[in-house]
Amino acid sequence: MKTLRKKLVRDLLSSKWLFIAVTIVIFLGVALFGSSFMAYLNLQSSYDYSYQQLGFADFTVKVNSSPLSTVAELEQIPGVKSVTGRMNTDIGVSLPQKNGQSLIATAISVPGNSRPQVNDLKVEEGSYLSPGEKYGLLLEKSFAEYHDLKPGDSILLDGTEGELEFTTSGIVTSPEYIFPAKNKNEFFVSPDTWGVIFISDAALLELTGNDNINEFCVLVDEGADVDSVIGLSEGVLAPFDIIDVVTSDEQPSNAGLKLDLQEFGEMAEIFPVLFLFVGAMTTFILLSRIIQRQRGQLGLMRALGYSRRQMLWHYLGFALVIGIIGSLAGIIAGYLLSESITDLYIGMLGLPYKITNFHWMAMEEGVFIGILPCLIAGIFPALAASRLRPAEAMRTPPPTAGREPLIEKILPFLKRVSLLWKIPLRNIFRNRRRSISTVLGVVFGVVLILASAGFLDSIDSLFSVQFDRIQRYDARLSFAQPVPQDMADEILDWNGVNETTPILEIPVSLENGDKSFQTLMLGMPPETDLYGLYTPGGNPVALKEGHILLAEAIRNNLDVKTGDSITVISSYNKTVFTVGGFVKQPMGSFGYITLEDAQQLAGAQAIISGILLSADSSTIAGLRNTASQNLDAVSVEITSEVESQMMDLMDLVNTMMWVMLGFGVILALMVVFTMITVSLIERRREIATMRTLGERSGRIAAMVTIENMALGIVGLILGIPLGYTVAMYLMQLVQTDMFSFDLVFYTRTYLLTAGIMILVILISELPGILGLRHLDLAKVTKEQVS
Amino acid sequence: MNNNDVQIDISNVSKSYPMGTFMVDALKEVSLEISRGEFLVVLGPSGSGKTTLLNLIGGIDSATSGRITVGPTEITSLDERGLTRYRRDNVGFIFQFFNLIPTLTAGENVELAAELVDKPRDTMEVLRDVGLGDRAGHFPSELSGGEQQRVAIARALAKDPPILLCDEPTGDLDFETGKHIFSVMRNINRESKKTVIIVTHNTAIGEIADKIIRLRSGQIVEMKDNPSPIDPDELRW
Repeated sequence: MKTLRKKLVRDLLSSKWLFIAVTIVIFLGVALFGSSFMAYLNLQSSYDYSYQQLGFADFTVKVNSSPLSTVAELEQIPGVKSVTGRMNTDIGVSLPQKNGQSLIATAISVPGNSRPQVNDLKVEEGSYLSPGEKYGLLLEKSFAEYHDLKPGDSILLDGTEGELEFTTSGIVTSPEYIFPAKNKNEFFVSPDTWGVIFISDAALLELTGNDNINEFCVLVDEGADVDSVIGLSEGVLAPFDIIDVVTSDEQPSNAGLKLDLQEFGEMAEIFPVLFLFVGAMTTFILLSRIIQRQRGQLGLMRALGYSRRQMLWHYLGFALVIGIIGSLAGIIAGYLLSESITDLYIGMLGLPYKITNFHWMAMEEGVFIGILPCLIAGIFPALAASRLRPAEAMRTPPPTAGREPLIEKILPFLKRVSLLWKIPLRNIFRNRRRSISTVLGVVFGVVLILASAGFLDSIDSLFSVQFDRIQRYDARLSFAQPVPQDMADEILDWNGVNETTPILEIPVSLENGDKSFQTLMLGMPPETDLYGLYTPGGNPVALKEGHILLAEAIRNNLDVKTGDSITVISSYNKTVFTVGGFVKQPMGSFGYITLEDAQQLAGAQAIISGILLSADSSTIAGLRNTASQNLDAVSVEITSEVESQMMDLMDLVNTMMWVMLGFGVILALMVVFTMITVSLIERRREIATMRTLGERSGRIAAMVTIENMALGIVGLILGIPLGYTVAMYLMQLVQTDMFSFDLVFYTRTYLLTAGIMILVILISELPGILGLRHLDLAKVTKEQVS
Repeated sequence: MNNNDVQIDISNVSKSYPMGTFMVDALKEVSLEISRGEFLVVLGPSGSGKTTLLNLIGGIDSATSGRITVGPTEITSLDERGLTRYRRDNVGFIFQFFNLIPTLTAGENVELAAELVDKPRDTMEVLRDVGLGDRAGHFPSELSGGEQQRVAIARALAKDPPILLCDEPTGDLDFETGKHIFSVMRNINRESKKTVIIVTHNTAIGEIADKIIRLRSGQIVEMKDNPSPIDPDELRW
């Protein structure tokens, strides 16, 4: 059927802008899917390969103290492949290159003469520790990059016998710190206050005076049951006071990455689904309209002897062309984009190895999911077309029954308005399917814009809540070892310091019945101005003795409510607290009690672990120097720096959301353009008739604009709550223990969305309106009514 | 004419269809026989049921009751697939508004029909037959009304069907062009022995027919043979 194919191609070309618009929607959907899904697969492969190459531990057991010989005992357990025993301790660090800036580092021992069998390191720059090189040190890559430290640079480490100078041998990446998280509660820690270093076991022995180890990293045989190996290992290690067992799934960096990957995967599904749904809807409407316009041709072809099946395939061909071109172009663009996204992501995280594959399956899936909605959308109008009887198809349909619209009955004054307003108003109600299509186009555009804009507003709001309302302090001093409480008063005497708040942070386990949750307990004076506590509704809440306030995210983990009693277990004490309420906490999931209660938990001593302070800006600028000169083993966290680092971290998410928003606007433009253009083409005859009667083009354009704007407003009214609901759903997907987003929409976002949609409508109708000016009145007035 | 020459036998055919909220009785108990190679003109005012009758003979519409037999086939008992095959092999349609596909050239419009049958007539040959041998590459918008209708005739002839059904074929044409179209049809009828059925409201056209049927309100009010049809060139209206 060569000629039918020719007709298909020429029909497509004669309405090329409409087809291009719908194809772009499919293209965007498939490109989004392809890029995010293939990047997701690349990232997953890169993680897996990195973990496999570096022997990432299946689980790690933290004990109080154990001799190194226990490693051999663990290696005897069936299913254990290899074990690395090591010391992991916090240690004071001073950086001579940065005017002696002091901070606290997690120091991890590595064998002096060989590589660790489990949790190995990849040397990115310089070299691994040479055998016998006692004062060499390896720096975790993100920490080294932040401080611009290179191999050969000196670093001072605090030991029991004073400071020791070490030389940086190499810059390394570690499977445990691909995302440098200190622990699950302190996920984002500024490299100004904390970092990770690796030194030889001999050097760590000299610094700490302790030749025992406190961590066992275990790699199990392939196929072995990790849980049973953990059980057997706990049996062996029980005499050494087990503090914690962390499986690879719970390991903070891996957990964070997996969560990130999971969100990536979910986003890889949700946004493309939205686009493809809209693409399907647009294809359906476009094809229905084409068939409506071609009723006469359809009837003729059936009269000539073309079969139903031939007509079905002919009209399905329109949808298939959209699907095939959109999908193929989309998947190619998706593949190219996935390479860039993978590079960007891996570069940002500093992943040890990058694996990018050509994912045939994903390519095929992309093409399939691009074609499928077009096929589904096309099959209904094409089937309807094929079922049309030839005589019926060629018969001019009777004019739509004219009746007074309901709105004129409700608002009688509308009957008296001029024709300029009355005609557009009646048009809206005359062809409801046409009007509903345009409204749906606007609704989908609004939904996509709001879903992306909601993320941007929520991230912005998260920062505002965290750094303006909760963290009101300018800086925070954290001590490696607890210090007396009166240290806060001493620091208040420092020049330029306006206010100090002593705090005590204790790692605890919260228990409610059989449910438990490991977190940090923050004790502080109830009257502090430097740390704000708010209910989820935003009202301030104060600490009370005997009461505990919990981050909102803990509520479900522990299944508790206000007034319940929960047990708080520290390494010193076990105390029952009454849940005083829940607090808004965008980052982390902590518990809050009074400083006095915290000190009771820590063994009834008047000690603190840190100080929050507010100070003049010049004092803040020199605070690190002042602290390192006056205090031992202290890290200084400047709030404005943390905020700026967090914002850098959020840059990728923000960029993705802006891209999504841009896609949303393009999608809205394509959909609304298609709807309006189709609507105008269908009404060429009546518009030509009005022109023939002497109506000015400008006045007709005004009528078209009034009608489209009215439909646009209806679309906005329906789209805003729907967009809010979709944004809410998306937001729920990214809620975790570490991040707790509130869905926030600023008023300006609603106004901006409305503005964008009005602009989209005006731009969309422009080609159609310009086309109406050049109508061949004699010819068009003879066309069949549709 | 004996019974063996009857090509189309219409017996007690009625047709009703909905029009908006009403049911229209387009044909009421119509019976008629049409012989092979006959040149028949069906006359009647607008709404008399003549197009409906043509559509039923052409198998593009189905009767509410009654029987239509074309050759050995009772088309009123055919299913959709059978009707498609019937139209493909037996009928060529010519419409008032030409119904050309605007995105196909004159030649391609003819090919659209030719591709449907195993032994089509050569596209260029049929175009030459209707005097459009040099216009094959032109799109409908580049042709005059008369030329467009001649393309439609060529399209109907391309399948080489035994029956040509023409619905107001000159309704959208001027007098001279209309006469020319009728000449073409009459020649086809005489040279190819094809049965030609023309429906029109223009009573003058009856003079060129072998048989004339008048319809009014869905019923045959007159049926007569015309023993001496005039040449289309002599037509006046």
